[in-house]
Amino acid sequence: MNAIDIQHVTKTYGPVVAVDDLSLAVPEGSIYGFIGPNGSGKTTTIRMMLHIIEPDRGEIRILGDVLHSACTDRIGYVPEERGLYRKMKVREVLEYFGGLKRAGSLRKEVNAWLERLDLAAWADKKVEALSKGMSQKVQFIAAVVSRPPLLVLDEPFSGLDPVNADVLREAILALRAEGTTILFSTHDMPVAEGMCDTILMIFRGKKVLDGTLTEIQDRYGTDTVRLRTDGGAGALEGLRGVDRLTDFGQVQELRLDGTRDAQDLVAEILGRTKVTSFEVMRPTLRDIFLRIAGPEAQEASDA
Amino acid sequence: MRKILMVARRDYLATVRTKGFIIGLVLAPVLMSGSLIIMAIFRDRTDPRDRRVAVVDRSGVVAEALVRAAAERNARDTVAAPGRPRQAAYLLEVVRPNDRDPMLQRLLLSDRVRAKELHAFVEVGPHALHPLGDTATTHLAYHSQNAALDETRGWIAGEVNAALRRERLLEAGIDTTRMPDLFASLAGMPLGLYTRDATGRITDAPKRDERAAIFPPMAMMLLMFMMLMWGAMPQLSATMQEKSQRIAEVVLGSVRPVEFMAGKLLGGVAVSLTASAVYVGLGLYALTVLGLSGLMPLAIVGWFLAYMLLAVAMYGALFAALGAACNDPIEAQSVSFLGMLPMIIPTFLLLPVVMQPNGGFATGMSLVPLWTPMLMLMRLATPGGIPAWQPWVALVGMVATTLLFVWAGGRVFRVAILTQGTPPKLKTLLRWAIRG
Repeated sequence: MNAIDIQHVTKTYGPVVAVDDLSLAVPEGSIYGFIGPNGSGKTTTIRMMLHIIEPDRGEIRILGDVLHSACTDRIGYVPEERGLYRKMKVREVLEYFGGLKRAGSLRKEVNAWLERLDLAAWADKKVEALSKGMSQKVQFIAAVVSRPPLLVLDEPFSGLDPVNADVLREAILALRAEGTTILFSTHDMPVAEGMCDTILMIFRGKKVLDGTLTEIQDRYGTDTVRLRTDGGAGALEGLRGVDRLTDFGQVQELRLDGTRDAQDLVAEILGRTKVTSFEVMRPTLRDIFLRIAGPEAQEASDA
Repeated sequence: MRKILMVARRDYLATVRTKGFIIGLVLAPVLMSGSLIIMAIFRDRTDPRDRRVAVVDRSGVVAEALVRAAAERNARDTVAAPGRPRQAAYLLEVVRPNDRDPMLQRLLLSDRVRAKELHAFVEVGPHALHPLGDTATTHLAYHSQNAALDETRGWIAGEVNAALRRERLLEAGIDTTRMPDLFASLAGMPLGLYTRDATGRITDAPKRDERAAIFPPMAMMLLMFMMLMWGAMPQLSATMQEKSQRIAEVVLGSVRPVEFMAGKLLGGVAVSLTASAVYVGLGLYALTVLGLSGLMPLAIVGWFLAYMLLAVAMYGALFAALGAACNDPIEAQSVSFLGMLPMIIPTFLLLPVVMQPNGGFATGMSLVPLWTPMLMLMRLATPGGIPAWQPWVALVGMVATTLLFVWAGGRVFRVAILTQGTPPKLKTLLRWAIRG
C-alpha cells in the first residue's frame, strides 16, 4: 500500500498555478525525497497532504484513506521554518503538539525522545533558551512523539552542525526501520541521494522526475567525467564535445554532449596536462537538478 | 472537541501564568479605585492662598455689597473647622471705572493678573441692574488666567446677582432687611419612591445620591471593558505571533483552522471568566461588608456573565481575524485601532446613558450588538431599571452577531493565517470574509 497517493492534483492561487496536475505515490516504509527549486510547489503540495489547504482538483489518499481531518493525526510534520511557542517549556510544548495528534499521556515518549536526542537536561527550560540546533531537534521530537506512521520533513537538517545532523539522520533511519514512511523535502542533494529510496522533483508545479536514484540517473546515462589534473580547470577549456565544465576547485566535472566518447576525451586531456585521477560516471542528482531547472535550481541548490 | 479544548487550555495557561496577568488583576482595580479615592480626598482641597480680585463696577450698585459679602465670607470660611479645611480669603479691591479709555484699564488690570498681583478682575456692566433691554453688553465679565474653571467666578456671580436682586426689590419698594430668608435657596433632595413592605406599612422613600447613581453603571462598564481587554484584545498579538513565528503552520497540521480559532476564543473566554470571578466575587463581598448590597441588583451578575461570554467571543473573533492578517507587530499595532474603536465608543456615552437610561438614544445605542455588552449593562445598573424585554432582545442580537463574527472571522483566519506578506487592508479582509 502507498502511504501517500496523490492523483492529478491541481492548486491555483488566482492566476498562479502552484501545483499542476501532480500525481505521486509514496510507498509505505520508504524514504521519499521531494526536491525542487524555491517556489516550485513543494510547500503547497505538503500543505495539501496535511489538509491545511484544499486542492482545486484531484484526489489525495493518506495511508489508504481519502484525505480528511482525522488523517492528519497520523502525519508528523516538521516545517522548514521552526514554529514553537517560545515561552513554553520544552516538555510542555512537546506534550502539547503530541497531544494534538494523539490522546493520552505522552510523558514516557517525550522523556525517551529527549534522552535520545540529548535534550533531557533542557526538558524544563523555556524554548526561548534553546539554541537553533536544539530548537530544531525539539521540533523534530514534536513531530514524532505521537508515533505517526507518516512523517513529513521539510529541510530537517538546515542549520544543524554535523554532530547533530548525524544524530537526527540516525533517528530518521531508525524510524524508517520501524516502519515509518518519510517524505523528505530538501535542497540538500547529497543528503537526498544518500537517504532517499525514491526521489520526486517538482518544477513550476509539475512533476519532472520520479523514481529511484538509479532509475533517474539511468535516464541520463554515463555522460559525466570527473577528473583531477595538474592544470586544473584552465587546462580543460575549449574541449570539443563538452557541454558543460563545472569547477569544484580541486576536482572538475565535464558533461559530455553525446558527440564524443569519454575515452577519446581523456586522451586529449592527457595531451594537455597530467591527469592524476578520472572517473566516467553518471550525473549526480545536483547536476540533474541543475539541468532541469537551470538558474532557478542553481539558486535553490546554493541556498 | 478534544483538540479545541487543548488549544483553549494552552492559550488560557499562557495568559494566566504570566506575571502581567497576575499583576494586572491586582493593579487594575487598585489603580481605578485609587483614582476615585484620590479624587474624593482632593475634592474638597482647595488652594488656601488669598485671592485678590479687582472689581470695576460700572453699574454703581454692586461693589459695596460685594466687599461686604467677601468680608462676611472671609470671617466664616478662612478658619478651618472639623470636616472643612481652611478656604482662601477673597480680598476685593474696588477700582474706579475709567470711562475715557476702558480698554486701557482692562489691559492694565490684565497685566496685573499676569504679574500675579491679582487673581482676577471683575467688570460689572452699566446696565447690570436692568439688563433685559441691553443684549449688546456683557453685564458681568470675569477675567483670570483660567476663568472657565475658576471657582471664585461662581462665588462672585452669586453675590453680584444677590446684590442686584436686593436693589431691584428696593426699587419695587420692598425692604429686604425685614425678610432675612428672602434669598434662601432650597436644594432638591433626591429620593426614591414610597413602597409598601411585607407588613403592609408604607416605608420611607430611600435617599439617593449622585455617586450611588453613577457608580454601579460605571463599575459595570469598566468591568466589561477590562474583560474585553483581557479576553479578546490579546487575540490580536497572540495570533500575529503564531503566524509570524510559523507556529500556526505546525498547529494547522493537526487541527482545522476553525478548531484552532474556536480553541483560542474559548481560551479567551476562560481568561475573562477567571478575572471576572475574582472581581465579581470581591465586588459582591465588598458591597456586603459595606452594607451597600442594595446598590447593585444581583440579577445583573447573570446578565454580565451572559454578555461577557458573547462579547469576548465576538470581539475575540474580530481580533483573531485581524491578528491572522498581520505579518509583524507594526501591522498589528496599526490595525488594533480598528478592533478597539467599537469597544471605546461606549465609554464616551456613560453620562448620557446614565442621565436618561430609558431615552431613545440610550435605548437605541444599547440595542446595537457591538455596544450592548457595555451600554445595556450600564442601563441595567441604573436605579429604576429598564423594560424587561430589552436585555433579552439585545441578547438575541448579540448571539446572532457573535455567530456572524465567529463565522466571518473564521473565514478570514483560515486564509490569512497562511498568507505571508500581504498587508491587512480592509478590502482584502472583507473579500476573505465573504469568499473565504
